[in-house]
Amino acid sequence: MAGVWILAESREPTLELLSAGIDIAAQLGVKVAAFALSSQLAEEYIKCGCDEVMLLPPLAAGQPLESYVPVIVEEALLNGPDIILIGASQRGREIAARAAAALNTGLCSGCTGLRLDQEKKQLVMERMLFGGAAVQTVVCETRPQMATIPPRTFEQAQPAEGHQGEVRQLPAAPPSPVTVVERTPKTSEAVDITEAKTVVCVGRGVGKQEDIALARELAGVLGGEVGCSRPVAEDLRWLPEELYLGISGKKVKPDLYIGVGVAGQIQHVSGIRDSKVIVGINRDENAPIFEAADYGIVGDLYDIVPKLVKEIKAALKI
Amino acid sequence: MPRIIACFKWVMDEADIKADPKSRQLVLDRVGYKISDYDRNAIEEAVQLQEKHGGSVVGITVATPGAKPCLKDALSRGPEKACFVNDPAFENLDPSQTAAILAAAIDGKIEYDLIICGEGSSDLYAQQVGPALAEKLGIPCATYVNKLTYVEGENKVIAQRKLDDGLETVSVKLPALITVLPDLNTPRIPSLKQVLGAAKKPVDNVSLANLQQTFEPCLKTTGILAATMERRRLKFTADPEDIRKVVDSLIKEGVIA
Amino acid sequence: MEEEKFAAIIVGAGPAGSTAAYMLAKAGLEVLLVEKGAAPGGKNMFGGRMYSHALNQVIPNFWEEAPLERAVARELITFLDGGRSLTLNCQDLSWTEPPYHSFTLLRAEFDAWLAGKAEEAGAMLACGIRVDDLLIKDGKVAGIIAGEDEMAADVVIAADGVNSLIAQKAGLRKKAPAPHQVGTGAKQVIKLSPEAVSRRFGLSGNNGAAQLFVGDCTKGMQGGGFLYTNKDSISLGLIVSAAELQKNKHRISDLLEEFKASPHIAPLIEGGEVVEYSAHLVPEAGLGMMPQLYSDGILVTGDAAGFVLNLGYVVRGMDFAIASGAAAARAVLSARAANDFSRQKLGLYQQFLKDSFVLRDLEAYRGAPHFLEIQRMFKAYPQFATGLVSKIFTVDGGEPEHLLGKALGQIKKSGIGWGQLAGDGWKGARLL
Repeated sequence: MAGVWILAESREPTLELLSAGIDIAAQLGVKVAAFALSSQLAEEYIKCGCDEVMLLPPLAAGQPLESYVPVIVEEALLNGPDIILIGASQRGREIAARAAAALNTGLCSGCTGLRLDQEKKQLVMERMLFGGAAVQTVVCETRPQMATIPPRTFEQAQPAEGHQGEVRQLPAAPPSPVTVVERTPKTSEAVDITEAKTVVCVGRGVGKQEDIALARELAGVLGGEVGCSRPVAEDLRWLPEELYLGISGKKVKPDLYIGVGVAGQIQHVSGIRDSKVIVGINRDENAPIFEAADYGIVGDLYDIVPKLVKEIKAALKI
Repeated sequence: MPRIIACFKWVMDEADIKADPKSRQLVLDRVGYKISDYDRNAIEEAVQLQEKHGGSVVGITVATPGAKPCLKDALSRGPEKACFVNDPAFENLDPSQTAAILAAAIDGKIEYDLIICGEGSSDLYAQQVGPALAEKLGIPCATYVNKLTYVEGENKVIAQRKLDDGLETVSVKLPALITVLPDLNTPRIPSLKQVLGAAKKPVDNVSLANLQQTFEPCLKTTGILAATMERRRLKFTADPEDIRKVVDSLIKEGVIA
Repeated sequence: MEEEKFAAIIVGAGPAGSTAAYMLAKAGLEVLLVEKGAAPGGKNMFGGRMYSHALNQVIPNFWEEAPLERAVARELITFLDGGRSLTLNCQDLSWTEPPYHSFTLLRAEFDAWLAGKAEEAGAMLACGIRVDDLLIKDGKVAGIIAGEDEMAADVVIAADGVNSLIAQKAGLRKKAPAPHQVGTGAKQVIKLSPEAVSRRFGLSGNNGAAQLFVGDCTKGMQGGGFLYTNKDSISLGLIVSAAELQKNKHRISDLLEEFKASPHIAPLIEGGEVVEYSAHLVPEAGLGMMPQLYSDGILVTGDAAGFVLNLGYVVRGMDFAIASGAAAARAVLSARAANDFSRQKLGLYQQFLKDSFVLRDLEAYRGAPHFLEIQRMFKAYPQFATGLVSKIFTVDGGEPEHLLGKALGQIKKSGIGWGQLAGDGWKGARLL
């Protein structure tokens, strides 16, 4: 079936892309199809407005999810979809890149916004460049038009009363030259930093791991959570990687973001730019965080943070 | 003894990019260039594997002729040879073109067991060239690798991938392509002798004409604008009075309660 | 490779170092040019204007290929006092014809070009390398040490800037220069359209202007402001005595922001976007801070040797740097011909400098730095001059007063003593 295709690793991103796909398909006057990993999900997708579900058969033991690439490519070659939207998980990105290469078509990676140019029947897609310093607008000259889309870019599609659709079984994935020998699922963190209303972020300016306590105290009086910049998680390993904010990490949209010793590299700022209010604390008055902050406090964080805690406690009478 | 190709890209240093706030046009005329951050990890990994297992490392890049300084930079990081696929037409390539050009320059021309790429480039960060190149060459790939082991005598690598939902260790038959994360290694800072040595290493120049193909873009860029960030940029000192002002403002804005 | 030895190693790929490397490489020597920054010019954003004569000796008609911004047609000096300013404005169009008097330029581009010329001539350029120490053999400088690497050379040329580590390591200078010997500089490059730049400074075509400011912009501290017009931007900055800045607890970045916001500057940069900011130390004390210029196996050039001349109305550094680099190269070539790199032989360098304009000019203006240290230069005199001229032009129905009376009144108001005025006038005429 031509039309708009949706592919994502799991239920939530599929539903998110489905809502965007339904919208575009309606404008184009075509149908929406999605890939599903179980018939239970297939049913749900249909309820939520999907016209066709392509059911991927289970993988053999040791096959990674990316083994579906040849199956997806084959289907696309047979049916000629206009558009394929893929959830930008890491696997999704690999699958999309390989499928696009096999289909000799263009792929907009990390698409943060898209609309349809009705006249040209073309998607106009936006994505970040230079670590978030710029926004690039692209159109795809070849077909299908492909994009990978980060989670939570769109609202999830909701069940539509009595919506009907077909489920079609796809052939099994061919044997894969890549074999999984071990899987260590991520221990799910109690904290979801993306849900926090207040985020206190620890940067390289914090000298010792113990001193993260300062940030925790500040987050504590504000009822917020502690996050960090990429090097604090990846190089220093002081905090788990689920907590680093930035273009390659978590994107947060809290009411209040306080950067403690965060320099404010563009890659980091890209992950916090949708915060309602940004406060930056840094010793270097020329630190880029001050360009990105509503309130910049220049000075030693070891001096400022305790004062800040004291003032907040006084103001909130706690 | 693995024959390794490390792919790298010469990119604008995003820290040098400025923008005109009114037109939102990027001001690019005073930007410096660098080897894309994650590609330094790719080169480093290739060189470490060679130091451990022998074999060879070739660095390859696709660029305009103006990117020539990248060769010395890359070669000072350890590869014994560079392949400089360059043409004035290779400007603002889309990822599909870069992958196709790399494939054309490698396939049948450079013998290899393993190709290593960075997870994405620091300018476009499309994260496409690695997996797309593997697809074009018809070899398996493993992306987002943060631990890589070459298994001598078995012609395979064991790679640990760091994914959204956890770690996945895969075994990949060679020839194959790996894209690497920055936490895989710490790229070396070239020493004086390494920099001097780089100037003497061989470079293969490959032009568009040598490839005997054309490479059309799939994506067309219709606009690039600076990302806007309207912030008040008020500055305060560490004086208790200033801190109180900040706290008062935050309460007024309703973000502290 | 371990046995590699260079004829000369030059530390620092600024104008002095690259000139020396260019000349030596052109003469067929194995030359290594080592730069600390990721690229030549990357660290040093200063300068902004170069007098042409020195480089024209080394690379004739360099303007045909070098990345230059504008040929300076107009020189301005402005005295500032509150809402008043007084500008001396001199245009000489002969300066904009070959061999061109001076050019504005952007150091990042110019330095990269000059280092590129050295490379083209056969010099080996190694960027991103910090030289940690000198290799000393039998009490003589015999090469450099960078990290774990040692590299031998017949001679080392220190061209590593105002804080020259190499000159210190060679024992040619005691320590880093004292605060009163250096100025702290801050500069911004502000982008405008080429038309706006030409219009605002009354320049035709691609002619340029260079403007110096004295007075309020440094809050009376020793130093001044400068402004150079580039093709499509303006380099605007301040240099203030590091000692006075320390004493008065001012921050150079705040001063520069205030300067930009002042009514004398704001209209010139209106609508412009800051595309570059840099801060830097500048040698100020002329001959007073000159280290020993040579020893066994080593020569010191450019800023590292303190070859900067600040006369208040003329600030020179790049032409001295280039000429000293050239003199060093000639000394090395002579030393090589005699296969003698001893201090006696390398003493030729000082001779060449004396024969050239470098030491001659620095000697001629030896007293200038001290003269410029006189506080009055930066507060009272700008006040006096702007006040007087403003008075001359003011028609307000008040009592008529002759010029002399106006002058006397202003002198009184500015609190300058008669003896001081006479003394400073005499000194100034003699020293500048």
